[in-house]
Amino acid sequence: MKVKVDKTLVASIALHVLVLGWGLVTFSSRAFVVPEESLPIDIISTDQLAQMTNGQKTGDKKEPKPKVEKIAEAKPDEDAVGKVTEKKELIKTNSTPEPPPKPVEKPVEKKPEPPKPVAEAKPKEEPKPQEKKPDPAKEDPIAELQKKLETKKPPPKPPEPKVAAVQPQQQPKPKERSFDPAQIQRDLDKRAATRHELAGAALNASASLGSTTGTAANNVATWRGAFQGAVKRCFTPTYNGQDADQYEADIDISMKIDGSLASEPVIVGVRGPSRSIAQAIAESAKRAIVQCQVYSFMPKPQYESWKLIPMTFGLKDML
Amino acid sequence: MNDARSITRRRFMTVTGSAVAMLGGGHAFAQGQPRIRIDPTEFQPVPIAITNFLPGSPADADVGNGVTQVITNNLKRSGLFAPIDQAAFIERINNIDVAPQFQNWKTINAQAVVTGRMTRQPDGRLKAEFRLWDVVSGQQLAGQQYFTSPEYWRRIAHIISDQIYERMTGEKGYFDSRVVFVDESGPKERRVKRLAMMDQDGANVRYLTRGSDLVLTPRFSPNSQEITYMEFGQGDPKVYLFNIETGQRETVGNFPGMTFAPRFSPDGQRVIMSLQQGGNSNLFVMDLRSRSTTRLTDTPAIDTSPSYSPDGTRICFESDRGGRSQIYVMAAGGGAAQRISFSKDDTNATYSTPVWSPRGDYIAFTRQGGGQFSIGVMKPDGSGERLLTSGYHNEGPTFSPNGRVLMFFRDPGGSGGPSLFSVDISGRNELKVPTPGFASDPAWSPLLSSTSGG
Repeated sequence: MKVKVDKTLVASIALHVLVLGWGLVTFSSRAFVVPEESLPIDIISTDQLAQMTNGQKTGDKKEPKPKVEKIAEAKPDEDAVGKVTEKKELIKTNSTPEPPPKPVEKPVEKKPEPPKPVAEAKPKEEPKPQEKKPDPAKEDPIAELQKKLETKKPPPKPPEPKVAAVQPQQQPKPKERSFDPAQIQRDLDKRAATRHELAGAALNASASLGSTTGTAANNVATWRGAFQGAVKRCFTPTYNGQDADQYEADIDISMKIDGSLASEPVIVGVRGPSRSIAQAIAESAKRAIVQCQVYSFMPKPQYESWKLIPMTFGLKDML
Repeated sequence: MNDARSITRRRFMTVTGSAVAMLGGGHAFAQGQPRIRIDPTEFQPVPIAITNFLPGSPADADVGNGVTQVITNNLKRSGLFAPIDQAAFIERINNIDVAPQFQNWKTINAQAVVTGRMTRQPDGRLKAEFRLWDVVSGQQLAGQQYFTSPEYWRRIAHIISDQIYERMTGEKGYFDSRVVFVDESGPKERRVKRLAMMDQDGANVRYLTRGSDLVLTPRFSPNSQEITYMEFGQGDPKVYLFNIETGQRETVGNFPGMTFAPRFSPDGQRVIMSLQQGGNSNLFVMDLRSRSTTRLTDTPAIDTSPSYSPDGTRICFESDRGGRSQIYVMAAGGGAAQRISFSKDDTNATYSTPVWSPRGDYIAFTRQGGGQFSIGVMKPDGSGERLLTSGYHNEGPTFSPNGRVLMFFRDPGGSGGPSLFSVDISGRNELKVPTPGFASDPAWSPLLSSTSGG
């Protein structure tokens, strides 16, 4: 009897411990819930968001991503070649020293490569240092010498040399296959890795349709909103009586590039049932514009777009 | 189903249409350089610095400070200005003939600075000078000087306040004006009601009657120093005319019954009122020069509380001809009346005590409904109704001379008594008007400078 009682006791104690323990765990976990902190946010209008995320209609229509996919599936080598040229053109077209070193190295590579077939990883490691700028820079004197020797070749070089450089690499490969097919697979894998890098670089370098940064650089909505908010803070119209919604004042503001006023704001026109009230509203708006300067947040690169800011002050939302 | 489909289709068309319209609008918008539009949602009073009026001689210091205080109080109570505490001033004005250092005033965010000087002249008169400066542009917006008897220094302060108000807002001021009201004193069951008059800010209270007879609904003449009101004397209550300067009074017309709710016409030549005959009351008008009377309404109902439009061509009044008290508008010569008060939310609401704004654009009223008395305004065609204040027993609105502020009285009930309040016609800035005792039935005068008596 006693044993049986003990068993039930044990069972009940175990159950209680389980339940209480579960309760403790769940309660304690609730206690550790971190209260959500409020984050400061800037409110922008749907127009502004639309303009920021809007793609450039004049953007480059090259589609780097689809090309990468095609390359991976069908013609890995040829496509990779194409992308190598693209990447180098985009990044290094302005740097003059580059084209010369390539022709210099390529003839050099052609010769050592045949003997190296055994060490297959090395030829691929070498092309990477070739891409780095410091090495070619050192070889510049040699390149110049060779340029003098091969004066006729430079003009056709930019388009052709790279293709020529890769082609020799392709030629030794068939020889490698005969030796070690397993290492060819590794080679292919490594080539694939380089392809991805290239594709990524190409993607970032060109404007694309519908990207999140499409027209952000020349987005006027951002400074317009900021300027509007800044002036609004200082605008204390003296009228909020009847027909307030009919009062408007147009004011043109000439700006300096440092965000201060180039001249006193000009009241272009006032509208409203009472001319004296409308004029008083225009003057209070003028005071607000002068009082709230300097608008140092205005983006200097877009100075042309805010050199002259036409504004309208109204009382539509009053009352 | 068909209905539902047509509604969705209609909705679809509406949505598509508006979307297309928005696209079109956006396109047009993008073509020109769009103006940045600013529509402030909140009203903020204009920060203004009012410096102490300099005394021309040490003896004028008190009057200088007094003028400064009156101007500060006026502008602050208007709700349109936020006078800056003098303790915050950086610059001390020592000579009003020199422009202030505007940077000092920009620092404390003042948009305008008022400077002034009070000087006692050799002939005993007081010379008051003031200048209003735009801090931002550094220009003088206004500058005036006045000569007056020393005892009228408050009036000068009110006139300067009006100048500042008008220059800054573009609207006429209302500070140089008075209010006539019914002063109430004594216990509730034996309340003494006297006709009283004061400046609009509560100063200079004068009692016009002794309180032996009950007085109600005093109204200012628009262009003279006269008041019309109703008094319960011997016999029927009558409408009286009272001359503030001479203290003379006379009955208006000679009617057999009770006359009440009088009001002057805008030209001050006529008094319009109600005459009770039997259970009905109708509107009559009396020409003050010829003493001839004209009946304007003839209905088996109670027509009362008439008020002229400022151009004198129309009259608004309250009538229960439709069953409940509502506001009607008709031509000044009588004829067909058009009801303009229609409560949207409470069909049982009643409208009373209409009064036409001096600007003509609004009619103020007392609305009773849902257990509350509200003061509100509506346009003369009945549209744009807006309640400015609600609560227990608000009544009897009267417009400031510029139509911008309403004064009314509120009686909380119980053992207390009524008090006067003012509120902007936007519904903001409700303030208690200081009175010596209980007060009711206020009526605002026109600007004193516009009346002959001054």
